[in-house]
Amino acid sequence: MSEFSNRIEAQRQILRIVNRRSWGGEQLFSLSSKAISRWVDINRLDASAQMVCLVTAAAEKLFFLANKSQEQVSEDYRATSIAIAAIASLLETEMGED
Amino acid sequence: MPTSDIDLLAIVDGMDKRFDPNVYSIYSYDRIHALWHEGNPFAWHLSLEARLLFASDGTDFLASLASPAPYQNRLFDCEKFHKLFHGAVASILLSRSTLVFDLSTIFLSIRNFATCFSLGLTVRPDFSRDSARRLSEDPVPISQISYSTLENARILCTRGIGDNISSADASRAISEFGAVDAWMFGLIKKVKQ
Repeated sequence: MSEFSNRIEAQRQILRIVNRRSWGGEQLFSLSSKAISRWVDINRLDASAQMVCLVTAAAEKLFFLANKSQEQVSEDYRATSIAIAAIASLLETEMGED
Repeated sequence: MPTSDIDLLAIVDGMDKRFDPNVYSIYSYDRIHALWHEGNPFAWHLSLEARLLFASDGTDFLASLASPAPYQNRLFDCEKFHKLFHGAVASILLSRSTLVFDLSTIFLSIRNFATCFSLGLTVRPDFSRDSARRLSEDPVPISQISYSTLENARILCTRGIGDNISSADASRAISEFGAVDAWMFGLIKKVKQ
């Protein structure tokens, strides 16, 4: 799979974890900053909550990968991919605790 | 949901905090040169349609470049976006927990597929949101209302604006994906020929 497809799939996995919960307002639609802000506002979430911080962190990592996507696979790229997987794992835990 | 189809590009030399990445697509000069060298569709898009708004030194950098290299990756790119389409459809069939994201991804796959096809095989490349509907001989076989549903999902995902997608609109769009798949498959056959 291409790095482009990998980023789409990574984003989908994060969204799937977050959207396991039945949000009263709306699902989280994507990891763009504006979609995250909409989700926080509509569901009246605390922007400083751990779950929101993890979602934002995942979004920032994916943004980093997007800017690296056309370059040779680098240590940075690998490290960031691993970091996203770690964030997904933390989100799994966070969602399970609520 | 009609919104602007204009994107803002900033070409920078290293980190430049003047540009908000949520507003601008930010590229380095080296990256632009590399895109030009590989004949990337984005390079062709910029070469044919970009307009300078401001340059600190008054130079229109993009206009100063020669045409990008010929576009060589049409088959690879069309197949890539066909797979992206398949992945999003499979995700919807599995679960509706990422429905809007998947509809948005389907819009992206259809539009980019058509753009790559038009750049690779027609005399009039089309980089617009409506590229798939404007392929003169092979427009995407999807209703206007379903195409709008997909486009609205895309805008929800990228800009966070618009009404949520209704179940009825989603179901209508999903019912048309078989025809879209056949359309992509047919155009890939043309690319191979």
